[in-house]
Amino acid sequence: MSDSNSSEGNERHPDCTAFKLAMRSFELNAWLAASGAVYVIALYLVRHHPYWGPGWKSAVSLMPMLPGLLFLRTGLRLLKEMDELQRRIQLDGLLFAAMGTVIVGTIINVFNAHGLAGWWPAQGLQVGGTYMTMFILWSIGVTISRFRYC
Amino acid sequence: MKNKLRELRAERQWSQGELAEKLGVSRQTINAIETEKYDPSLPLAFKLSLLFKQPLDRIFFPGAD
Repeated sequence: MSDSNSSEGNERHPDCTAFKLAMRSFELNAWLAASGAVYVIALYLVRHHPYWGPGWKSAVSLMPMLPGLLFLRTGLRLLKEMDELQRRIQLDGLLFAAMGTVIVGTIINVFNAHGLAGWWPAQGLQVGGTYMTMFILWSIGVTISRFRYC
Repeated sequence: MKNKLRELRAERQWSQGELAEKLGVSRQTINAIETEKYDPSLPLAFKLSLLFKQPLDRIFFPGAD
């Protein structure tokens, strides 16, 4: 739709922007899935090869960082391409996730320290638990923020 | 902050989606501004000002708290 007042020459077509955002979201989810898969594989390899040296074990354990870094790069690009309200919603979600993870982690650590966390399978949240908690809280935070602005 | 974006849009018979397209933002952003749940950034406010050919203080004004 053309309008003499709009600066269409400088801006991308909205359909193109929507498509690009959808593709970027898909890419983001793909890297997240890849990180999860590599994490499970790394965990399996380290547990089933106890004779490996600490250097080798550390290297394998850090393998999920590679797709994780690509996830981060895609996430930052996606954030840059969003409009200002969408960016605000995502930042609200991230802040909710970060603060929530600190609170959940602190509670579990305190319970652990005083022997009240017998139901919890590990000492503290650990790496996988931290990622999972952050992801769940980010989803909740984004949903709350979307409702706030709709 | 209060605004008369809905009135200005209605005068031109644009839908929220059409206005969003002209500004390069999502329809949700237009809706949030119109319902005064979200105050736009200065660049977006200037885009609105240019699009509606109205000074900023004719579109946005402080509301009674």
